[in-house]
Amino acid sequence: MKYKILKALDIAGLAVLDPIVRLIYREEPSEQVRKIILFIGIPAFTFLCFMVLWAYIAPRHTTKSGEVPTPAVVWDSAKSVWVFHERENIKEDDFRVSGEERQKRIAMVSAELEKLKPQLAKVDALLTKAQEQAKAETDKAVAPIMAVFEETKAKYSADSTARKKALTDLAGTIKADDKSARSEYLKKVEAHLAQTDVEKGNLQQIKAQMDAVMNRKHQGLIEARLAKNRVAEKVQFYSKRLENLGDNNQQQKVLAAKESLDKEKEKFSQASGRALYFSALKIQRAEDRLGRIETSTYAKPWTFPAQIVRSLGCVFLGFVIATVIAVPIGILCGLSPVFMAAMTPLISLFKPVSPIVWLPIVFIIVGGFIDDPEQAPVHPAFLSSAITVALCSLWPTLVNTAFGVAAIDKDHLNVARVLRLGFWSRLFKIVIPSALPLIFAGLRISLGVGWMVLIAAELLSSSEGIGKFVWDMFNNGSSQTFAQMFVVVFVVGIIGLMLDRTMIVFQRLVSFDDAPTAI
Amino acid sequence: MSQTSQHLAADSTTKQTENGEPNVTNQLTRRPRKTLTARIDPATRLIAALSLVAALLVAISPSKVLADAPSGEKVYLDIEKDSLKFGFIKLTDCAPIVIAKEKGFFEDEGLQVEVIAQPNWKTLLDNVINGNLDGAHMLSGQPIAATIGFGTKAHIVTAYTLDLNGNGITVSNNVWEQMQENDPALNTPTPKHPISAKGLIPVVRQYMDEGKKLQMGMVFPVSTHNYELRYWLAASGIHPGMYSSTDKGGRTDAQVELSVTPPPMMPSTLEAGNIQGYCVGEPWNQQAVTKGIGVPVTTNYDIWKNNPEKVLGVTKKWADENPQTHLAVVKALIRAGKWLDAADKDGKLVNREEACRLLSLPNYVGADYDVIKNSMTGFFFFQKTDKREMPDFNVFFKYHASYPWYSDGVWFLTQMRRWGQITESKPASWYHETAKSIYLPAVYEAAAKMLITEGYISQSDVPFGTDGYKPATSDFIDGNKYDGKDPIGYINSFKIGNKDPK
Amino acid sequence: MSFLEMNNVSIGYGPSNARTEVLENVNLSVEENEFVAIIGFSGSGKSTLISLLAGLESPDSGIVRMKGKTIGEPGPDRGVMFQNYSLLPWLSVFQNIELAVKQVFPDMKKGERKDYIQNYIDMVSLTSAEWKKPHELSGGMRQRLSLARTLAMKPEVLLLDEPLSALDALTRSVLQDEIIRIWEEDRRTVVMITNDVDEATIMADRIIPLTPGPKATLAQDFKVELPRPRDRTTLNFNPDFKALRNRVTKFMISVNEEAKLLRTSRNLKCPDIEPISLAQVG
Ligand SMILES: Nc1ncnc2c1ncn2[C@@H]1O[C@H](COP(=O)(O)OP(=O)(O)O)[C@@H](O)[C@H]1O
Ligand SMILES: [Mg+2]
Repeated sequence: MKYKILKALDIAGLAVLDPIVRLIYREEPSEQVRKIILFIGIPAFTFLCFMVLWAYIAPRHTTKSGEVPTPAVVWDSAKSVWVFHERENIKEDDFRVSGEERQKRIAMVSAELEKLKPQLAKVDALLTKAQEQAKAETDKAVAPIMAVFEETKAKYSADSTARKKALTDLAGTIKADDKSARSEYLKKVEAHLAQTDVEKGNLQQIKAQMDAVMNRKHQGLIEARLAKNRVAEKVQFYSKRLENLGDNNQQQKVLAAKESLDKEKEKFSQASGRALYFSALKIQRAEDRLGRIETSTYAKPWTFPAQIVRSLGCVFLGFVIATVIAVPIGILCGLSPVFMAAMTPLISLFKPVSPIVWLPIVFIIVGGFIDDPEQAPVHPAFLSSAITVALCSLWPTLVNTAFGVAAIDKDHLNVARVLRLGFWSRLFKIVIPSALPLIFAGLRISLGVGWMVLIAAELLSSSEGIGKFVWDMFNNGSSQTFAQMFVVVFVVGIIGLMLDRTMIVFQRLVSFDDAPTAI
Repeated sequence: MSQTSQHLAADSTTKQTENGEPNVTNQLTRRPRKTLTARIDPATRLIAALSLVAALLVAISPSKVLADAPSGEKVYLDIEKDSLKFGFIKLTDCAPIVIAKEKGFFEDEGLQVEVIAQPNWKTLLDNVINGNLDGAHMLSGQPIAATIGFGTKAHIVTAYTLDLNGNGITVSNNVWEQMQENDPALNTPTPKHPISAKGLIPVVRQYMDEGKKLQMGMVFPVSTHNYELRYWLAASGIHPGMYSSTDKGGRTDAQVELSVTPPPMMPSTLEAGNIQGYCVGEPWNQQAVTKGIGVPVTTNYDIWKNNPEKVLGVTKKWADENPQTHLAVVKALIRAGKWLDAADKDGKLVNREEACRLLSLPNYVGADYDVIKNSMTGFFFFQKTDKREMPDFNVFFKYHASYPWYSDGVWFLTQMRRWGQITESKPASWYHETAKSIYLPAVYEAAAKMLITEGYISQSDVPFGTDGYKPATSDFIDGNKYDGKDPIGYINSFKIGNKDPK
Repeated sequence: MSFLEMNNVSIGYGPSNARTEVLENVNLSVEENEFVAIIGFSGSGKSTLISLLAGLESPDSGIVRMKGKTIGEPGPDRGVMFQNYSLLPWLSVFQNIELAVKQVFPDMKKGERKDYIQNYIDMVSLTSAEWKKPHELSGGMRQRLSLARTLAMKPEVLLLDEPLSALDALTRSVLQDEIIRIWEEDRRTVVMITNDVDEATIMADRIIPLTPGPKATLAQDFKVELPRPRDRTTLNFNPDFKALRNRVTKFMISVNEEAKLLRTSRNLKCPDIEPISLAQVG
């Protein structure tokens, strides 16, 4: 049993858990404890240190463009991303639900809304109060500075006028041949200008004081705003639900359409002459409408979880394309030095090209093949992103495959020669299996590269996915924007890690020697 | 009876005699009107005009004949397509599209509409052209530029203007201080508006003396922002540079160089010092104030009172293939516009807070509610100390704002010519014809009529009977007069810019 | 005309400026069903010789023939057992043999093939290791697997390149007997490379020493005229056997001395120490 578990862990790439299992089976407890500390304790500790450091530094580092979000803020923002997702799902569900369930929900939502009403009034009142208070505080703080500012400004401007007047007056008294008086005069003008600069500086300082007061954060106000927003968002959500359960509800619309169709049929049975024709026409249209409503789908916005799934789909498609291209070409390169020589310039030329360059090119090419995106089996933006991912990620696989095939052990080839294996069986029974560990090592790097490139590709192509989420949130410029970027960092990181682990498992399955495959 | 309606009527009559089907709305946008006018003589036109109302109403509600009064009965259109995708850029003026969706106006027309954020104006346009999107929230200049082939060429049309005004020009703190020095009148917490670019002249000179040029950001070569910023600078005698067949960046002879910067990057680019000012829509001017990195000096309302800003653009092909759907979309948008501008007795905009709440959802504009609220509810912060009421900063429906005026199209064409985006001189007739091939008031009017019948809007909400040209106006920062009927004269009235022979 | 023959075969490696002539003027003829042991020092070119016979290498000059026909590409009729086993590491014991069997006997039915393979696995006592991969086997086990694979091909000629060198003495003798048994059963031609004079003497009909390289060549052969079956327990007391063994050993040592002299005359700084035990120098 124990060894089965250990083996499973090993294959699953979870060798970290090895000592825990051994400890449970009481095998060399002290050794296992040492390993646990080394392989789990220390990483956990560093991660903890990182979090603490982050939590400490974040609030202390602010730029004008924004604050670095603390872990707590990021967590909140992750939650709100999730809440948005859930709410959209509920709305969609409401759109579809019918019968008793619908009634139940209407009752529930209405009750909820009733409960929210007094809350809304309360937070509204609180907000008004907080706003007034903040304004009063600011005004109180600003008023004296403002007074000083105006006063100083008036004084300075009076002073300046006086000085100017004195200078112009003095100018009148200077004689034509009085050189020293002239240079004296120049100095005075200089002094006057210097004085003006000083005054300007002083005014600027007062203004800065004023700005500082204006910029002061009013905790009460911020909280009141947040509270208000929370309640108002809920009200909005429940109101929309009520709509989707009511007139907007698919089943309701179908019923209404059926009713008007029935009415029209009734009319039809009595109509005659020209009216009969119009009535028939109307029935036809009503039937069309009914059909449309019955098959209509709720236009739901893309939410982050859905976008993650789509990104995974995209990277997977790109990865498959990359593999399908890279492995055969790599094998050909490995087999034939001529082919390798032919490919080398192309490979070296295209390998360093960035996804940002590939994407527009791919977009045009893909667009040329897809006339009507609505009819296309895959969305062109999705396909373009996938191909871009493929173009950027196929190189490690290609190079590794070529290398793996070229470096095949001569002895293995001798076996093939002695057995007189044909080209294909030599390829599939000797060459490919022997290159497989290297191919998979390449695939693993490719998948990593692809995952990294994908975000950029999606961002540019506006194909729904994590990249589009990033760009949209960045465009939002809301107070949550930065926190959402951090959420993306973690999501992308964790998924990347999982993809890598998956590849390690595959790599293990094909590796025939005990060479280590991962750190 | 308006000019356009007559053409329509003529069209419908011919169709009616051909196949006996009173299916007028289907014909609304099928054929280029010009060729028809040429073909039909005045006598038929008269008869046709008379039969129009009948034909139209018969099509709308077959059992009713000739009734303009609101009946409250819902008109269901034979839409060709019931699930649509509209693109938008995260700016508050996409509001009519968002509202039409969230308030169920699209659904009332039997449409399921997905509203999808686009990364930039270029991609948005491309997505409309290649069919990824059915239509989009576009800069007024985009359909025009696309149609005449400046940039990507494609025939784009519009039957609905989304809003008026809504942009601002922000300069960096540093430039603002220098402007204040140059013009002491500005050196108060609440300077008098409108602020012209006069105070900027010495700054521009100083930069040029140092062998540099002041840099300013705008969002797209054919954006209203580009033309507004140029207008503002040129009105004070600062040359913003000319476009030419060899200079696609529009920097020839520039004293201030303009460059394209995506809206969300504006504040940070300004802070980084790559640009010293920018012209952009909301919330990006207010962001500069809240973050204390710049000062909005003027809004486009001050540059040109009630200037057209964004439109709903669709391809001509789409409009031709989906005439009924197009009508349904415009109906929903008119309702949304009306809803957005609904005011109580005191003129307070009653629905704007709810609109802000909706716009602040992350899948729409997504900025903080409190930031969006500022400008949308009729306030604008010029500085922290300078909050002003600007009730008309965002106009969606008032003043017949959503009507697709030919004169708006002509104005953008004149600016494209003025700055050399249109490289050769054109006769006045070209301006009118081009505007008429892009702006589709007939669709708007047909949709509005149905809404009147349904009781959602009233007769006075729609400028029936207009020839599509707004009266001449001098509501510009420099007091120059614009008359859409005389594009050449208007182009020649500017000191800076191309001039054309009469 | 003998079954397998080499006429004035020479072969060398490397470019003309840094060339090593490995074999020079090698002449060999092996009769059908004969068991020949070739004995020589490490690096003298034994494996090269096997490669030439198998067709894996072609000679620079001279001719290698089998049944009168010049040897071209290698084939399963000349079963080679490689010195370094050449097992396919991604295949299990069973699959390694299966690959060869499938190729050589494509018409064999599945069940039949399984028994056939199992038979060879049992023969080399790998019975409980059928599903192990080569890297899970000890050196000796790998060598046995390699042998089983070669035998399973039922080749006309068995070319064994130090087939038993990695085995412990006990297994070694068992397999020696086994090879002899198989050989006697269906009487195939065998060329075996070895560095063990005892082994050669016990197994072969003829022992041919290979002089130390470079430019190695085959020396005068020693006929082993001991009666078969040879019983190793009694053989140790057989004077003929002892005499032959001593003669061969002496000869090998003397050619080695010669070579050493040759080499020292070429390079005087070379230390004057050479391994004497042949068993160590395989
Ligand atoms: N492919 C090769 N390229 C160059 N030299 C080789 C090659 N194969 C063998 N040799 C050389 O030929 C000589 C004989 O090698 P080999 O036949 O393997 O010796 P043995 O099997 O007797 O130990 C050695 O000196 C070795 O270095
Ligand atoms: Mg050897």
